[in-house]
Amino acid sequence: MSDEAPVRVMVVDDHPLWRDAVERDLAAAGLDVVAVAATGREALARFGATRPQVLVLDLQIPAPDGVQVTAEVVRRDPEARVLVLSASGEQADVLAAVKAGATGYLVKSASREELLAAVRRVALGEPVFTPGLAGLVLGEFQRDPDQPQLTDRETEVLRMVAKGLSYRQIAERLVLSHRTVQNHVQNTLRKLQMHNRVELTRYAIEQGLDEE
Amino acid sequence: MSSWSSPAATAVEDRLFRALAVLRAILLVNAVVLSALRADEVERPRALAACVLVMVVWTAVATWAYAEPRRRTPPLLVTDLVVAVALLLVTPYVTGQDSASVPGFWVIGALVAWGIRYRTVGGLVAGIVLATADLVRQDIDPSDYGNAFLLLLGGTIVGYVCATLQTMATERDAALHEAAVATERARWARVVHDGVLQVLALVQRRGREIGGEAADLGRLAGEQEIALRSLVRAQDAAPVAGGMVDLAVEVGRLATRPGVTVSAPGYPVELPAAAAHELVAAAGACLDNVRDHVGDDAPAWVLLEAFPDRVELSVRDGGPGIPEGRLAAAAAQGRLGVSGSIRGRLADLGGRAELVTGPDGTEWDLVVPVYGRAHE
Repeated sequence: MSDEAPVRVMVVDDHPLWRDAVERDLAAAGLDVVAVAATGREALARFGATRPQVLVLDLQIPAPDGVQVTAEVVRRDPEARVLVLSASGEQADVLAAVKAGATGYLVKSASREELLAAVRRVALGEPVFTPGLAGLVLGEFQRDPDQPQLTDRETEVLRMVAKGLSYRQIAERLVLSHRTVQNHVQNTLRKLQMHNRVELTRYAIEQGLDEE
Repeated sequence: MSSWSSPAATAVEDRLFRALAVLRAILLVNAVVLSALRADEVERPRALAACVLVMVVWTAVATWAYAEPRRRTPPLLVTDLVVAVALLLVTPYVTGQDSASVPGFWVIGALVAWGIRYRTVGGLVAGIVLATADLVRQDIDPSDYGNAFLLLLGGTIVGYVCATLQTMATERDAALHEAAVATERARWARVVHDGVLQVLALVQRRGREIGGEAADLGRLAGEQEIALRSLVRAQDAAPVAGGMVDLAVEVGRLATRPGVTVSAPGYPVELPAAAAHELVAAAGACLDNVRDHVGDDAPAWVLLEAFPDRVELSVRDGGPGIPEGRLAAAAAQGRLGVSGSIRGRLADLGGRAELVTGPDGTEWDLVVPVYGRAHE
């Protein structure tokens, strides 16, 4: 670890076994786990009290669900980052969470090293994409002609992510810097989230989140 | 459940009888006003007043009685009809002339009640009874025949419509009930699946960290996790048209192979079943090739993309690539092997297969044109 202040993390999961395992791994690696929560309600309350930089969030939690928590957290603090850690990998939920403002997505079977790397990258604002998520996002842009379209380069990069190439490999293939590849991925997320903002507002109103 | 006794049918009946109560009130006002206007012309005004009183009292009684399902018994309906028939039959005595009947349109109340309660047959029976009574009381001329015919027709139609409404309401209720049960079942399945997936993921992760036999357990858990996940995906998939399958689901099954990661859109990609199975089989052949040339657990990635005019399936591995000239050499020796079979399958589908190979892996791009697939 560098001598910078440790990343402040909150772990949200309704399975105690998992919550403890993730918390232990993060703490052992020198991260500062400032809070844990088992439900959406707890998560939002403790988020306000502890102001973590990164939320490691399961989507299947007692209400409000992970998607709603993501939207609310990002609304309250645009600097906060959400890393979705999901077991079931239900496509619709993952996509909804990313549209709501999540910066990264990881399946729960990912190794401890992958989890730690993902938390650190998300804390820096770098998107963490699995190939599966890239495939979903590509699908969204191909489906909806009203979307702000991706540039050819962005599509190319996203397609490579979906085919399992690392940012480093993509940078080499396209003769770009690692940073530029990251920016392309980030832009695709931004376009997806911007298009979603109107829908999200409606969703929040429907779910009664605006009353809080 | 029978459409006679189901709650939905009763609800329809209740609504119709409530509407009939309003209709009866209007018919009563109409009858009272018409009777008042002709009070001077009739032979026995007191008898007419008595008839009007009967109509007022019976309208009130009927409105009260029909409001409750358990009171809608045969005696009530028979009495309803008898009152209407009696009023028709006393017309010559009251008026002393061959003229409009005393109750007039008021008899429709009984007619519609029979139609609602006993449906088509009830409406027909009440129509016949009322029409006969109306014809018996007077010398028949063509316009009277018309009235009788309308009574017959009206009763039957009201009965038929009521029966249809009740059947539809019963069917709708059954469908709603089934949908609710299915939704609840799916919700529970999701909860259970999520719990199982959590545990499998945990076993996998801890197993890998502990190593040794635990690592084997972890690997088994990982295989089950992927199998269950593709099952969940298949169950959650929206139903597709007959003869079609959701290619995203079919491709998703490839993820059960060790080392294989599948990426696909989050919505159904419809393709004719035969074409989808050929395409998935071709992708499977590509993956077999990866296993043979790179290694048993070698990582491979499958990406499905759906465009308005085509679907693209790419299969990539991170292996050393195929040395230049080897495929050509193999073909020259008459060994078309895997690449030939993959190209052949795609050609049969009207598509094409392209192979890109290099030092950081080999990639097959399988493209199948799709005609007339609506852009979603």
